[in-house]
Amino acid sequence: MGYEPLVKQNPLRVLKLTGNDKKMGLIMARAGLGKTALLVQIALDTILRGNRVLHISIGENLDKTKLWYDDMLQAILQECPVAKPHELIDMVRQHRMIMTFKEAAFDRSRLEERLNDLIQQNIFTPDCVVIDGFDFTATDHAKLEDIKNLMESLRLQTWFSATSHRDDTRVSPTGVPAPCHELDDLFETVVLLKSYQDHIELEILRDSGKKAEGSSHLRLDPATMMVRQED
Amino acid sequence: MNKDLKFVRNIGISAHIDSGKTTLTERILFYTQRIHAIHEVRGKDGVGATMDSMELERERGITIQSAATYCSWKDIDINIIDTPGHVDFTVEVERALRVLDGAILVLCSVGGVQSQSITVDRQMTRYNVPRIAFINKCDRTGANPERVVRQLREKLNLNAVMLQIPIGLESDLEGVVDLVTMKAVYFEGEQGRDIRYDEIPAALLDQAKAKREEMLDAVSMFSDELMEAMLEEGDIPEALIREAIRKGTLSLKLAPVMVGSAYKNKGIQLLLDGVEMYLPCPTDVENIALDIDNNEAEIKVSNNTADPLVALAFKLEDGRYGQLTYVRTYQGEVKKGEFITNTRTGKKVKVGRLVRMHANEMEEIEEAGSGDIIALFGVECASGDTFCGGNINWSMTSMHIPAPVISLAIKPKDNKAQDNISKALNRFCKEDPTFKSFVDHETGETIISGMGELHLDVYIERMKREYKAEVEVGAPRVAYRETITQRAEFDYTHKKQTGGSGQFGRVGGYLEPLEEGVYEFVDDIVGGSIPREFISSCDKGFSASMDKGLLTGAPITGVRCVINDGGYHTVDSSDMAFQQAAKGAFKEGYRKAGPIIMEPIMKVAVEGPSEFQGAIMGSLNQRRGVIVGTSEEGAYTVVEAELPLGEMFGYSTILRSLTQGKAEFSMEFSAYKQVPKGVAEQLIKEYEASKKN
Repeated sequence: MGYEPLVKQNPLRVLKLTGNDKKMGLIMARAGLGKTALLVQIALDTILRGNRVLHISIGENLDKTKLWYDDMLQAILQECPVAKPHELIDMVRQHRMIMTFKEAAFDRSRLEERLNDLIQQNIFTPDCVVIDGFDFTATDHAKLEDIKNLMESLRLQTWFSATSHRDDTRVSPTGVPAPCHELDDLFETVVLLKSYQDHIELEILRDSGKKAEGSSHLRLDPATMMVRQED
Repeated sequence: MNKDLKFVRNIGISAHIDSGKTTLTERILFYTQRIHAIHEVRGKDGVGATMDSMELERERGITIQSAATYCSWKDIDINIIDTPGHVDFTVEVERALRVLDGAILVLCSVGGVQSQSITVDRQMTRYNVPRIAFINKCDRTGANPERVVRQLREKLNLNAVMLQIPIGLESDLEGVVDLVTMKAVYFEGEQGRDIRYDEIPAALLDQAKAKREEMLDAVSMFSDELMEAMLEEGDIPEALIREAIRKGTLSLKLAPVMVGSAYKNKGIQLLLDGVEMYLPCPTDVENIALDIDNNEAEIKVSNNTADPLVALAFKLEDGRYGQLTYVRTYQGEVKKGEFITNTRTGKKVKVGRLVRMHANEMEEIEEAGSGDIIALFGVECASGDTFCGGNINWSMTSMHIPAPVISLAIKPKDNKAQDNISKALNRFCKEDPTFKSFVDHETGETIISGMGELHLDVYIERMKREYKAEVEVGAPRVAYRETITQRAEFDYTHKKQTGGSGQFGRVGGYLEPLEEGVYEFVDDIVGGSIPREFISSCDKGFSASMDKGLLTGAPITGVRCVINDGGYHTVDSSDMAFQQAAKGAFKEGYRKAGPIIMEPIMKVAVEGPSEFQGAIMGSLNQRRGVIVGTSEEGAYTVVEAELPLGEMFGYSTILRSLTQGKAEFSMEFSAYKQVPKGVAEQLIKEYEASKKN
């Protein structure tokens, strides 16, 4: 597609997004730290590699979700200009579909129904699904495993976001905070966004299904919310 | 008409189609004693609503043209523009909003915030129009005002705050609870004319208290005094709350919500009170003019009647007595017999008859002050012209007019119709800037173009009814465009020697894509290789070439023509020779410049029950659509997509059959984009075939 430099330069390579199409990943952070920004960057990286992304936004409206993509894409284009930006914008538009749901309207059966609508009628066949705003406090291991099985059967890489809370100190042995502390074995990769005085750091808690070692050396630029390598 | 601008409200009533805004206007006119009987939109008496003055509107039960009317409520003079609900007619909505100070956004309590409400709301935001939301049809089965308020917040990002709650819903709707006064209000007597205030029914008291708290919390953000009064926990003066609501509304940071049912005559008088109390008067709104003599510097109009006149012609109608021009004055006065200047033409015109409009009836007046909406007779001008008095030369900011995207060929059925069609088209083009007509010289057909199938359909109906012109209508055609994608050189010599004086001209240079704009001519000639007097001939030749592309005959856009070389003959070179040379040069360059065909892409929103989401998406996908996204709210889903206009013809019938008539769609122009290769080849083939025939 001619966007290889954008893909190669992306610091998100650390998350090993390519290869495993059945992978389930999780981005965790307290409210307002940049979970959606990171999910959208994962989605855009997937699209730039020529794949299709279904973005499911729970409790958010369509326009706001579109705006995230527009903003992140502009930020990418500012850093790495391409010859024909409108072609890239068009390509992203064609490789992305957004579905928004009210909190109460989203469940596993609805997800399956919608995915079947898209895939069987050949409307849009995603390679990756990002699910933003999923309520992990209202789910349990069995329910999430059920979703994982569904996504695996459709060979879909899936990324979730989850909100952690300062006053809930429970954590899993691999360091995954509540409300996902009892669900961490279902995820290949878990990334925690941690806020420091002047920056936000990406801490990889689980990698390839195991407890991760060492630092990711990745940060979120507070101005653009773009992922950067530490200097 | 009251002279003090504090007592004037210029308002519009906008909404999604079938939300009942014409019914609401009818009730407003009735309660303000402007009319003495209520006629329903689709009433059995066959009279139709007063504001639907065109026969066609009455028959179809939809409003097509906005009609201006004027009424008085208590101490207030209200000018109302009733605006059409269908998206094809949004230019009417936009023009109305341009001249209004405030608006009532009518929503159906069952349908809620529908696609057209979103379009209208976006337009209101563009023109900074403060609005009150009125949730109508609370008597209908499935009415849910709370859901509509949530949608106002979520879909339109409005800080929607309920000022009332309904007493009963659906067939049990009895009245409303006013959360400001904490009284129950009932509408009794003949046609709800008698208002009875009572204690809030015990069953609703807790809900009313909770909703009042919610309302006060939101409203107190706009008044420190109110916030202090709330903290003191004593009685909160009504005036303090109303003042805060008004402040919030005017700053566009609050959207007060009122409820009722126009059809059942409930809640209308309170809505009129709301217009008085919360919507702006002309002096509350800042309007900007451009000073033409001062490099179009922005100037705030004063609203002062003593200053020279500044008025905007926002709507034209060609009636029996000549052209009727709807005008909004921003400062100064218009007086019968006085001269005013049209800024665009520089011509002075005399104000003949001056009238105040009430649908299709009119009332003669002698003068109109600042902030008023009136109509002038016999003043020659176009829609969007500014009139000034004294020595000022200002223009109100230009209005946003979209380009037509669809066209139809029409043919008169007989000779008589031919004359009438010309008259009709002349009038429609003057009235509606989004409607265009021209004669295709190759086929001799008259082509009309506009914003959608319904838009053109309505004009064809009007030709039949108002001008007795029966026409044969061709299939709708998409307004394709052509453009170039790369730079290409040309060097063309036009030479003819066929007896008498010859023709000679050589034009060299290049074509290149123009990012913004339709056409640009650049003269880079040095050393006089083309004499100065023939430069404009080259410009003319290139410009004429833009009318018809070589691939499909569609107009060309986005081309910069640069000339940097040429040649001439002292005897044989002429204006005509260089025009021909430029046309030849354009052809030569165009073929090498990677020409492409572009088609209008529409932003389409389909709303319907969630069970049909798959079917709706499938139908859009089959039409070369890119599905942007879906929003699912329980039982209801909106699918947003971008589709080529050419694929949308007849979609309403398909959608109806797919969804048992339960889904509807709206569309608006989004952008021109390149057609796919297969479609382009087909279009080129068709064009070649048509040239041979």
